Amino acid sequence: MTTGNETLADAVERALTMVIDPELGESVIDLGLIYEITVEDGVAYVEMTTTTRGCPATAYLKEAVQSAAWSVPGIHYAEVKLTYEPSWSPGMMKDAARSRLHLA
Amino acid sequence: MGTALSRWTMAYFTAALVFLMAAQTMMAMGYGYPTVAVEAPETLVLVHTVTIGWLSLLMCGALLQFVPVLVAKPLQSEKLVLPALLCLLSGLVCLLAGFLHLAGAIETDLPLLPAAATLLPAGFLLVVIVVARTLWNVRPARLPLPARFVAIGLACLAVTFAIGALFALVLSGLLPLDLRTEGLSIHIAAGVGGWLTFTAIGVSYRLLPMFMLAPDEERAASRAVWRCGILALLCFAAAPLERLAGGFGIFGPAAAVLALAALYFYGLDLVFLYRNRKRRKLELNMKAAIGAFVAFFACGLLLPVAALTGTLEMYSGAVFYLAAFGWLTGLGLSQLYKIVPFLTWLECFGAVMGRKPTPRVQDLVAERRARLWFALYFTGVAIGTGALACAVPGLFRLASAMTLVAIGAIIVELVVSRRLLNLPERDSLPEGASRPRLFLPSAR
Repeated sequence: MTTGNETLADAVERALTMVIDPELGESVIDLGLIYEITVEDGVAYVEMTTTTRGCPATAYLKEAVQSAAWSVPGIHYAEVKLTYEPSWSPGMMKDAARSRLHLA
Repeated sequence: MGTALSRWTMAYFTAALVFLMAAQTMMAMGYGYPTVAVEAPETLVLVHTVTIGWLSLLMCGALLQFVPVLVAKPLQSEKLVLPALLCLLSGLVCLLAGFLHLAGAIETDLPLLPAAATLLPAGFLLVVIVVARTLWNVRPARLPLPARFVAIGLACLAVTFAIGALFALVLSGLLPLDLRTEGLSIHIAAGVGGWLTFTAIGVSYRLLPMFMLAPDEERAASRAVWRCGILALLCFAAAPLERLAGGFGIFGPAAAVLALAALYFYGLDLVFLYRNRKRRKLELNMKAAIGAFVAFFACGLLLPVAALTGTLEMYSGAVFYLAAFGWLTGLGLSQLYKIVPFLTWLECFGAVMGRKPTPRVQDLVAERRARLWFALYFTGVAIGTGALACAVPGLFRLASAMTLVAIGAIIVELVVSRRLLNLPERDSLPEGASRPRLFLPSAR
């Protein structure tokens, strides 16, 4: 991956802060739901999970992540892969989000 | 993972809430037990308004939405969901009218009870097909534990409506049988214990970790609830057969001991989940659910005490009321307070998520106001239980008036949330967001 692509991956990550998990009210980035972002030849590859397997919001979240990643200038297409390996745990959240949610 | 919004769940919930208000109004006005006898047709009207109209429709609506979550598979045969609702509603109207006819309140030659004995089983069977096919879709993998509870709940539902249909035919004079003693105990145990309680426990194993961010791995205590619960149900079913065969009468006490053991292990699980939750600050749905769990354990304590002191007949009304309104209704209302705004959010903002700034699900509710209504509700249930136990019908009507007001206010809160009235930006939704209908599915 080139330096330019790394910047694009950062831009995708910034764009994903717009995508809020409706139940917890925090972004998918702060919740640690995004496992990996890579950009190759203008295509963003995002690997993500959800807090609960089978959650009714899953399809909406996946679509929202794709749409937010795709909206970044320089990204021609975004591909989102949903995974539950490993399954999400609250320990994956960023500290700021943990404290906002009063997590133990 | 293929799961989405169940189109008719809100319609099931709405119908259920209408029947709950009707039942509460009857109780506040002194219709049915304790004003008249437990077996009087007026009491049958009240009991079936609660158990079928409110609790079963609520449970069906919830399962249609949450069984796909339990098994991470899409709902199967979704086209059967609306016919099921129509059969259940028309069947219940026939059943209630049939009981009113028995009570002498209406004059008619229509075969109301035979119609109910056809329509209600048909409606429940359609729901069973939809849910069972969705569970079956998990093969070759093993069903997760919460889904196994639901599977047993469905089997108990089938037993309940089959015996219920026989009762309706007996009461209409078409079937010359006397099922009152033996059949009735299985009908009640399978309905309240198997279908409603077993299913509620299963769903709670998924909802509690989800809403509190508590550990959701399968625990030994949960498996013990499952095993003891199934054995208790089997013993409850065997007890009347044993009586008919002139046995020693061991299945009844065995069922009670096993049910208490299941309750004990469920208690261990609940304490574990609440203690080990990551989300320290509980939302109102999980706080109010504690009232329901307390009621459930109070039932578990009261039943053996009444049985051992030979006062079961005297206190059965109070225990049944506490189970139906403290435990099942308390849990149902508290979780509706979370589920309805969650579904509303997805219907309204799901399509614009990631494209436009969106509020949180919690922004759709006003917990400070609703907290009062839940407190009023559980206070009313506690007073009502005491009034039934001490045989003070006037106080029971007063307590029912309290719960009627509380439920009415909670329903208003649900409507306010569905209408997005708690959102400051309710009049200027982001482009692409769609305002949900009150209870009908959004147009596709």
